[in-house]
Amino acid sequence: MYYTGSFIKGQSLLHHLDPRLKLALTACLSIFILWVKPPVAFITGIVLFCAAAASGLSLRTITEALKPLLFFIILIFLVHILFNEGEAWNKNSFFGLSLPCAGLREGFFVVWRFLCLIVAAVLLTMTTTPSQMIAALKYFLRPLTWLRLPVDDIAVMIMLALRLMPILLAEKERIEIAQKARAYNLCRSGFFTRIKAFLSLILNILLGASRHADELTLAMDARNYQRGERTSWVELKITLPDYLVLIFFGILIVIFVALNSHFG
Amino acid sequence: MIILENVYYKYEPEGIDALRGVSLQIKEGEHLAIIGPNGCGKTTLIRHLNALLLPSGGKIMVGGWNTSDPKHQADIRSLVGMVFQNPDSQIVGMTVEEDTAFGPENLRLPTVEIRNRVAESLSRAGISGLSGRNIESLSGGEKRLVAIAGVLAMRPRYIALDEPTAFLDPAAAKRILNIIDKLNEEGVGIIHITHNMAEAALSQRIIVMNEGRVYMDGTAREIFGKVEMLQKIGMQLPQITELMIKLKVSGLPMRTDIVRIEDAVEQIISLKGPMKD
Repeated sequence: MYYTGSFIKGQSLLHHLDPRLKLALTACLSIFILWVKPPVAFITGIVLFCAAAASGLSLRTITEALKPLLFFIILIFLVHILFNEGEAWNKNSFFGLSLPCAGLREGFFVVWRFLCLIVAAVLLTMTTTPSQMIAALKYFLRPLTWLRLPVDDIAVMIMLALRLMPILLAEKERIEIAQKARAYNLCRSGFFTRIKAFLSLILNILLGASRHADELTLAMDARNYQRGERTSWVELKITLPDYLVLIFFGILIVIFVALNSHFG
Repeated sequence: MIILENVYYKYEPEGIDALRGVSLQIKEGEHLAIIGPNGCGKTTLIRHLNALLLPSGGKIMVGGWNTSDPKHQADIRSLVGMVFQNPDSQIVGMTVEEDTAFGPENLRLPTVEIRNRVAESLSRAGISGLSGRNIESLSGGEKRLVAIAGVLAMRPRYIALDEPTAFLDPAAAKRILNIIDKLNEEGVGIIHITHNMAEAALSQRIIVMNEGRVYMDGTAREIFGKVEMLQKIGMQLPQITELMIKLKVSGLPMRTDIVRIEDAVEQIISLKGPMKD
């Protein structure tokens, strides 16, 4: 099963790039997509989707990643259609409601930008192992140690949160199955019974999480974990492909900035 | 050498006496099985061996260091690795290598050394082929081997395993037992909690725990030869020993301290006389 944010083993160029470069480029690209004018955002998105396809990111993976956000995507789109005061498109097309053409266009581009951000994030997490990501984060956060920010502890916290996520999802599924096994049918229950069942589910998940956290702490102690500085098995090394990708990215940005001013 | 001298441990605030005067010596390279009914203190005992729990009374010396001395707890934890019963509670990393590297990262080893240790540990645990795999894509048996690899990466002289084959199918359990045997042959001391008597019978020495005390201590033959003592605390015998006892009751002149299938076969054949081709 694919969980949003999971690493998928592969041999693409992106898999082999330095995680610091990938993290920095993703951040730059995200800001760029939000900043440029809609037509340039559209072209940037196309290039991004091509890079995603070349890295082995399938349509199915994108769909899986979008599933939890589908409601918000549709909501954003509808809000732009229904509350935009643009030109009338066809007054009788939707049960007498006027659907503004500008709203449709705006809705499309907002959703497009949103999609691009998700694809960029999925592309990053899919081609970067959590430990590489943490090593990159640690690298960028390192200057904050001057402010006595416990960077190494934050890195371990992120790693544990990522590790606990699939365990908690499995726990949730187990509790739901246990409820069903005892002939519990949520669909036939009333509002308050549903609330009660939901609270019971949440409580059980929290108890499970707390138990797991206890055991994990003990296991970490057993493997000599102590707060403070740790070394990393991830080798951060900028190589020729990293430089080439950086140059290519730079050229694309220059072209797109020029295009952006052209559309202005 | 691990030496336990009159060790007591009480779980607070419940006030449960989990260990009551345990004295024990475990030599380097020894393969020791710990058996006993649920709640007898087996897990509590092995958690004392790498200073996860500290005794309420008595003392534990591991490689010459007292586990109660905070200065040496890190050394003791490198010396005695711990494999927990549930691998999901032990595995910290998201991928096989990440988790295996966790211990050496804590030891603050340089990246090159960590990578060498990860490759070496995966190979010793027989799971080099799982390298790069996401933990969630592994089977229960594979997760246990990853947990063992994670401990091996700290190059311990002893490994304490809490029911390493529980809930596994026979093939996966056999794979784990083979790895444990191989590690023992390499000189790693094994302390192995189990409820499976046939598994316990494979070790050089067995300790039977009951109500927080060492109830019996000896070789498999010595332990399983004392049927009444074991039955008194609700313990079962290995199936092969039970078979030999039943054959003896049926009137055949069988030894009842046999714990291995090979020995049983040998004895049955010796009754029949030399086999004809």
